[in-house]
Amino acid sequence: MKIDSLLKKNRSVVAVVVLALVVLPPIGYYAIRDAFPQGNDPFLEKPNPKYQECVRDISWMRLHHMELLKDLRVQVVREGKRNDITLAKCRECHANRSRFCDRCHLTVNLYLDCFGCHNYPESARESMHAVSGSGLPVPRSGLQD
Amino acid sequence: MTPLQESSPPVTALSATRRPIRIDPDVDFIRILSKDSSNTFKLCMQCGTCSVTCGISPDRAPFPRKEMAWATWGLKDRLIGDPDIWLCHQCNDCSTRCPRGARPGDVLASIRQEIIAHFAVPRFLGRWVKNPKFIPLLLAIPAVLLGLALWARAPIEEALGLSTRITDRIVFPYSSVFPHWILNSFFLFFSALAVLAAVIGVLRFWRAMKAASVENGIGPSGKSVSASFVAALKSIVTHENFTTCTTESSRFLPHFCVFFGFIALLVVTFWVITNGLNPLIQGPFVYPFGFWNPLKMLANLGGAALLVGCALMIFDRIYDEHAGTSTYSDWAFLGTLLLVVLTGFVTELLHYARLVPHRHVAYFIHLVFVFALIVYLPYSKFAHLIYRSAALAFSEYSGRNATKPALSDSEVFKGSKAIKPEDAKNAA
Repeated sequence: MKIDSLLKKNRSVVAVVVLALVVLPPIGYYAIRDAFPQGNDPFLEKPNPKYQECVRDISWMRLHHMELLKDLRVQVVREGKRNDITLAKCRECHANRSRFCDRCHLTVNLYLDCFGCHNYPESARESMHAVSGSGLPVPRSGLQD
Repeated sequence: MTPLQESSPPVTALSATRRPIRIDPDVDFIRILSKDSSNTFKLCMQCGTCSVTCGISPDRAPFPRKEMAWATWGLKDRLIGDPDIWLCHQCNDCSTRCPRGARPGDVLASIRQEIIAHFAVPRFLGRWVKNPKFIPLLLAIPAVLLGLALWARAPIEEALGLSTRITDRIVFPYSSVFPHWILNSFFLFFSALAVLAAVIGVLRFWRAMKAASVENGIGPSGKSVSASFVAALKSIVTHENFTTCTTESSRFLPHFCVFFGFIALLVVTFWVITNGLNPLIQGPFVYPFGFWNPLKMLANLGGAALLVGCALMIFDRIYDEHAGTSTYSDWAFLGTLLLVVLTGFVTELLHYARLVPHRHVAYFIHLVFVFALIVYLPYSKFAHLIYRSAALAFSEYSGRNATKPALSDSEVFKGSKAIKPEDAKNAA
């Protein structure tokens, strides 16, 4: 095996290089991360001051908002019960999808498919590229899942 | 005094300088070795081909000829304090050249397993881990403990006031099912127990090696213990002993992949669990990582290297006739490692696919195997990590590993308990 013998011959150099490649990236990443002005902060924007609270307790919403949305979908589509909680209502506070939903979801690779059907306009489409965890651009197609 | 008498000392001289040894064979030990190496080790006729052919055998006190003798006599107490057994990386140069087919490489591998079980604390875990009958129990322990921890989580959170500590932070689905504080404290606690067992085992092993080296009149070299460990670490990281192999030279690349893959995963794990204490992390620490996050990429590459290394090792054991006999311990360790990597990647893929009950189940199974790999480390073949490091360090410490130019007669006798020429003369 050619690679094998090549590696063996230069084993000290290879070991040091591989060790550096394995140990240094986290240090480098956290050292230069703040140099990017947009940052990678996935924390929520402050919502519209018009509303003091969300439709449920905020801590509950952080854990279970997807369940709420699913329940609402079942109520509307299967049971024909409409109430005043709609995506349009969400948008009144959380106006910017790319700065609200996508900010967290893209950071952790949880791609949304809500917006394949539902219109939730983004006002700042280009800021999408700032929200991936690494600061690297996220492929647009990824959003369609 | 005739020249003949001078060159061959009389038998009485032996008993004058050295107590006669009563051979007290450990029959169980012989039985276990017979089972592991399918009885071939008793074919050894002490020709010494193995010691000559071994590429890493030191010039002074070579191996494995003497270990083969001790093994056939069942002298377990001599073998447990013998660092040479751990210098062997089983390249099988000896096994392929043995004229009797006694397979010294396999014998040393079985002895290593016995040593791991011998120094195991608590002893019963050492017995359980090397017996396939205990697989269900050994996997049930982490499953039940982790299940209990997750089940008892809500009341504990309430008691500690953790549930009310809601910050600006987003809580992701994994963390809601497996909160990080539970996983971190659970795994840190059991890893600490494993580290304690490993430290006790290594200290006892070190003491046994020291006693044996004093008995054989070897060392110390004057090197400090820490310097010895640094030297050993250097040879481990550069895979020095793997490169002297000729028969099983293919062992180098898989171990290299697994070794550095594991270090990559360890580094990422370290950064994740110490994020709150790490002064190098400025600003928020966002976890879980996205796919293109450098730490995630490092972890994925490490996992891939581990997977490739594991696959190569398994192929080698199945298809290479020179790989030696694979025992249950070999397969159990390789299998656990492979299952940890596979369940890890399955969990990651299910996470990306957003399959909700599935990814939690996969993660739970992954955690059970991680527990089996890490917490059973001092009892499984993974313990080679600690015992081989200690043995390599000890051979540096005792100076027994030094390769020296041909020795003169007086140097050969110096420091050894063998008959010295003047003793022989006196006795005569």
